[in-house]
Amino acid sequence: MRIRELEIKNFGKFTDKHIEVSDGIHLFYGENESGKSTIHTFIRGMLFGIDRGRGRAAYNDTFSLYEPWETPGNYSGVLRFESGGKMFCVRRNFGRLSRRAELFCEDDGEELSVESGDLNMLLGGMTLTSYNNTISVGQLKIEPDRSLGVQLRNFAMNYYAAGGGDMDLEHALLNLKERKKQIEREIKAELEEKQRQREKTEQESSYVWREIHKLEGELESLEGEIESRREKEQQEAGGKGVIDEIRPAKWRVHPVEVLLFIMVSLFPLFVVPRPWNYLVCIIISLCCGIYVWNRLKVGKKQEKTEPERILEEITPEEEKASLEKLLWEKGRISEEIRDKKTMYSNLQEQMEELEEVGSAFKVQEKKKAAVELAVCKINELSDELQEQMGRVLNERVSEIIESITAGRYSRLVVEDQMRISLISDGRKIGIGQVSRGTVEQIHFAIRMAAAEILYEEELPVFLDDTFIYYDDGRLANTLEWLWENKKQVLIFTCQRREEQTLERLHIPYVKEEVC
Amino acid sequence: MGDLFHRQPLLRELKEIGYLFGKLKRTQVVLTAGNHDYLKAGSYYRTFSWPANVHMLTGNVLQKAEFPELGVSVCGFSYHAREMREMPELQLPGDSGQPVNILMLHGGDELHAPFKKEELLRLGYDYIALGHIHKPCVISTGRMAYCGALEPVDKNDTGPHGYLAGEFTEQGCRVRFIPHALREYRHLTFPVSAGMTGLAVKEGIREMIAGEGTQHIYKIILNGFRDPQIMFDLHPENVSGNIIEIVDQTKPAYDFEKLFEQNQDNILGRLIREFRDYDRDSTEYLAMCEGVQALMEARRG
Repeated sequence: MRIRELEIKNFGKFTDKHIEVSDGIHLFYGENESGKSTIHTFIRGMLFGIDRGRGRAAYNDTFSLYEPWETPGNYSGVLRFESGGKMFCVRRNFGRLSRRAELFCEDDGEELSVESGDLNMLLGGMTLTSYNNTISVGQLKIEPDRSLGVQLRNFAMNYYAAGGGDMDLEHALLNLKERKKQIEREIKAELEEKQRQREKTEQESSYVWREIHKLEGELESLEGEIESRREKEQQEAGGKGVIDEIRPAKWRVHPVEVLLFIMVSLFPLFVVPRPWNYLVCIIISLCCGIYVWNRLKVGKKQEKTEPERILEEITPEEEKASLEKLLWEKGRISEEIRDKKTMYSNLQEQMEELEEVGSAFKVQEKKKAAVELAVCKINELSDELQEQMGRVLNERVSEIIESITAGRYSRLVVEDQMRISLISDGRKIGIGQVSRGTVEQIHFAIRMAAAEILYEEELPVFLDDTFIYYDDGRLANTLEWLWENKKQVLIFTCQRREEQTLERLHIPYVKEEVC
Repeated sequence: MGDLFHRQPLLRELKEIGYLFGKLKRTQVVLTAGNHDYLKAGSYYRTFSWPANVHMLTGNVLQKAEFPELGVSVCGFSYHAREMREMPELQLPGDSGQPVNILMLHGGDELHAPFKKEELLRLGYDYIALGHIHKPCVISTGRMAYCGALEPVDKNDTGPHGYLAGEFTEQGCRVRFIPHALREYRHLTFPVSAGMTGLAVKEGIREMIAGEGTQHIYKIILNGFRDPQIMFDLHPENVSGNIIEIVDQTKPAYDFEKLFEQNQDNILGRLIREFRDYDRDSTEYLAMCEGVQALMEARRG
């Protein structure tokens, strides 16, 4: 594609301006504010249209900047260009109300439609962004807080790793990382909520458990109490021996016993030979005496002392409660334990159910997996593209760099992570170590190489004050390279350097003074 | 027919329900234990004394309760464990002298008394009352049905809930579903289109709920394609009081075909080419949406 003619009806400072554009190098020379950039913007506007911003952004967007003051209704122009051997004509009206775009082929008069993408097709599918990133070369714009190297790296990444287009791969991956974090946060919140529920159930169940233990303790002591009561009662009821049974109630020692004792004591007197009979008799009677004395002691009810009586009065009713009441209490407690145990096992069951994975959780997990997959795939594709594009692009960029720098740098090497370095005399030099001028030249070389690789038809090159940082030698090399490799080059400049260099190199050019 | 309680009943709970059943003056209640309230070793079901009109069939083999005054016999069995992979013998007892025979059966899935519909129908019962599934569902008209839960038990128990009223006449059994629950859980799918803002969606949901009935409780599923620039920040309580959950399943409204056309050679186009043929609900498709969105948001210029 080559541009042939510009007809600026009403655009910025120009009205009814007519410019013929020739092949080869076309120099637009003008002082500051003479309207070079206006022409450049006009061409871009003719090719891609000018979108109007909205709201506050509209105050100084391209549309408002170049809107003519006097006849805004006639904010329009015509561009003639040649593509595939045919002449085409684009007419556009940028006006607020009369917005219109027409495209027709001048050779056969065929009407084409800009809306349905015919112009885009003629441009080889080039979009505004790729136009800005390839054939329309300004200076490398440096975003605040970003070094030139990083900026160039991003720019190069666009071609090497993202295959052109206007992707910012790094940024996109960062977006995905952020997204993953967000999903993870959501998952965490959900898990925490579940954990809270679990803890609550756990707390409840441990509370029930403690209660069961407490009740079991109570039951045990109650059982002990009942046991001791029973024993006591048994003692009271059945503690008397056979003798006690037959003993008359009021006698502590039965009269028969007394008689028996006397008889037994006297018996040895006659049976045992002397002198031992006295001794045996005394021993037996002593034994009997001890028995009788013992019986008398047991039978004697002891008077309760004062403190004992007080203690008895303040002892709670429960302790003195009847055995029957204790048994009833025991029944109640074991019933309650059973109840609590059922409750406990129910709570355990509930906890088991909480362990199961919820459906919401699964959805989130799937989202997370999707983001991970996207990151993985993008990296994979970018590696693939990097390799594919890289090989071709690398070759071409290296060639261009070599001719611009007159062999100073023989190769451009793009490594992992978009680390760009240059090879000079077999030495590798990192991008951070070269001058601004050289970085600009790499930038230029990548653009030129990318335009060649991405678009079949050769496109004109627009250079807007591109060479400010170039030294004279490299400027000459660059211009020579352009003359040899490009069919149409439009240079917008406010300096005489380009003209002088072209003169010196005897390269034919057309000069257009803009004023 | 099983699962009167979701877990092991406590004694006091049985007392309450026993009291309520006892208040039914003209009704005989027959019940069994299901897989949730199965007859554990220490279950209160084993020892609880029910009012005279309540009959619990506690055996894990078929038992029978006869009501000569009604001319009905009811057979059934209770679960003694959490699962029951084998169905006990269900043949209609030969000594049943009643004109109408009913079978109560809890389960139906793999772990809980699995059965085949035809086999059950061949057993000779006049009606088979099924339990276990919360959703009311007629298996065979007039012969066999799940009555479902009286009230929705879980947020996923959608649809109407109530009970089945069966009537035996000369012609056979006529079963009607009587809706009883005042509220239902409802899942609503709300279609989102690219032109909708957060507020529009909120209002749309409210309108939808007003149309469906405000007494119900809703789970809203946002579906369709949203404006890629918009993030819906929809908290259920901010939209309407009777929403328990809003699930956002919308996808960014990118025209993937067009994007693909424009970006065939770069990473965006390649990503779309890799994933666009996958199913819409697949992880891969979702990954494409996420990836495209991230790349588009990171677009320069």
